[in-house]
Amino acid sequence: MRLMTLAARNVVRNWRRSIVTTGAMAFAAAIMILFASLMAGLLRDSERNAVTMNLGDLQIHASGYRDDPDLYKRIDDAQQLVARLQQQGFHASQRLYGFGLAAAGTTSAGVQLRGVDIDNENSVTQMHRHLVAGEWLTETDPHGVIIGRKLARSLGVRTGDEIIFVGQASDGSMANDLYRVRGILKSIGEEVDRAGLFMTLDAFRQLMVLPDGAHEIAVLRANPDSDLDLALHTVTALAPGYETLDWRQLSPVVARILEMADVQTIVMVIITYIAVATIVLNAMLMSVFERIQEFGVMKAVGVTPWQIFGLVYLETLWQTATAATGGSVIGYAIAVYYQTHGIDLSNIASSASFGGIALDPLWRAYITADSIVIPVLFLFLIAGLAVIYPALKAALIRPVSAIHHR
Amino acid sequence: MDTHTHIVRLERVSKIYHQGKIAVHAVDNLDLEIDVGDFCTLCGPSGSGKTTVLNMIGGLDVPTSGHIYLEDRKLATLNRSQLSRLRRDRIGFVFQAYNLIPVMTAYENAEFVLRLQGQPETQCRERVMAILKEVGLEGLEHRRPDEMSGGQQQRVAIARAIVTNPAVVLADEPTANVDSVTAGALLDLMQKLNEENNITFLFSTHDQRVMDRARRLIRLRDGKIEYDDVRSLPG
Ligand SMILES: Nc1ncnc2c1ncn2[C@@H]1O[C@H](COP(=O)(O)OP(=O)(O)OP(=O)(O)O)[C@@H](O)[C@H]1O
Ligand SMILES: [Mg+2]
Repeated sequence: MRLMTLAARNVVRNWRRSIVTTGAMAFAAAIMILFASLMAGLLRDSERNAVTMNLGDLQIHASGYRDDPDLYKRIDDAQQLVARLQQQGFHASQRLYGFGLAAAGTTSAGVQLRGVDIDNENSVTQMHRHLVAGEWLTETDPHGVIIGRKLARSLGVRTGDEIIFVGQASDGSMANDLYRVRGILKSIGEEVDRAGLFMTLDAFRQLMVLPDGAHEIAVLRANPDSDLDLALHTVTALAPGYETLDWRQLSPVVARILEMADVQTIVMVIITYIAVATIVLNAMLMSVFERIQEFGVMKAVGVTPWQIFGLVYLETLWQTATAATGGSVIGYAIAVYYQTHGIDLSNIASSASFGGIALDPLWRAYITADSIVIPVLFLFLIAGLAVIYPALKAALIRPVSAIHHR
Repeated sequence: MDTHTHIVRLERVSKIYHQGKIAVHAVDNLDLEIDVGDFCTLCGPSGSGKTTVLNMIGGLDVPTSGHIYLEDRKLATLNRSQLSRLRRDRIGFVFQAYNLIPVMTAYENAEFVLRLQGQPETQCRERVMAILKEVGLEGLEHRRPDEMSGGQQQRVAIARAIVTNPAVVLADEPTANVDSVTAGALLDLMQKLNEENNITFLFSTHDQRVMDRARRLIRLRDGKIEYDDVRSLPG
């Protein structure tokens, strides 16, 4: 009889204990798969949010603009470049930036002015859906502007209120005009929340006397699961002479947090599995001690210590494999549920954020290969480590004392 | 010295156990030779060293001093895995109880050592079936140990012990856990195997009836041979 078969029968022999052990392992694996996919969902959402609420996957700037955001460092052929990008299947939108002072009543605040290409911005970011009050920009209301929520608070304005902008136009003249708050943004990110003042591209061009060009082109991949590096490569080639960066380079802190989250998952998996390891160790030790005589006889008739070690190891392997299969199926099923339905956090927190990025209050799981492979792999690893001691114990039993052990 | 007829030879073998500060001479300077085809019984009071002698011959225990030879191989010169192989290939063991692997059928238990030797399943089949028939277990091949009586279990153990054609079968009180009728039957079986197949048996017992049937009776006391008697048996 093969060692594998013998091991399988031994597992079935004490089926109560095997079920408890296997069940504990399967439960832990299922929970860890759910946890890993929730983490993956959080990461993906954070990444998606970082990207779709403001950054875009990629941004193009005139070289040097990011270090010194000068009104004159522009992408001159922005219009044509956007058209070229769209031809290649990317979503792209021009943006213009300026700085100045906004005043309402007796209060004033420094603002970052943004000209928004309302025809295209909707395809790149979801900002237009992220309003706490009022409505998004429209061509028919050139003096209606959108502002960040903290700016609205510090200026003490609501939708419909008037604000005055004062700044310096590109020709050196004074740029000032009267605007009406058309909408207030939900949390987008610290910078926009505190200082964002958005208007249409045309309104911006008139105010700042900038008839053409753009400071920034935000680009989004049509397929979010396609390769970002490849997209970076393609867009860089389409925009020669300019600086093209992906969101990870644009927002390295967020990228770093997201990378760290992988490590966090592994740490969490290991901690949980230590409890599992204790169960496995305990169960296998019990099972070895119950069979001391049996191992003694086996060794007496010529089974080698390594074969005994292998036998105990295989018994654990069978249980782990069963647990991994069962745990994966259950964990996967639960993860699928939370991938479609999500966990509604809106009751707990009105505005969740993760690493400075606003989050959707609906937390969805996202099943990746890793969120299944990592829990399963570590289950085998930890069970394999836990059984070394019981297996050695069995292997090193001295047949004489074992056979006369009572 | 004619070593060829001696399948087992003990030369001035001693085994000392230390129980706290007291040294127990379990086996004391023992010389013993077992011949091919012997049917040999070790008896003696409890604690006289029977089990210790059998264990040392089987390479399960090592003597404190002296030498043991099995088919002219000096056991002390063999390492662990060589000893494992020697037990697997040249020695058959029958213990008092818990002989069998509980999750394997009678057939599988009997076959076990052959498969350990690496013999293919198909090749074992005929031999295992023949031996099970010989020990009187025909038809019970698929029973698990817990579905068999104590005597039947010991028969399986005997089948497993002889299936490899060992040099010697070592049996430590093989009849201690069965009733006297069953004990008699087991003894008949071993005697038959000894006479018909010339298998060498060395076993220990407390049972007077077993002693009565031994062709060679060795009585131990305090680790020494009290007497060693070769008899011609009736029948
Ligand atoms: N592992 C051990 N440690 C210490 N002393 C031992 C050990 N094994 C046996 N002894 C001692 O050695 C002596 C011989 O024991 P052994 O088991 O060989 O006797 P036995 O003839 O088989 O007895 P029984 O008829 O009760 O089975 C006894 O005094 C026993 O207490
Ligand atoms: Mg004994």
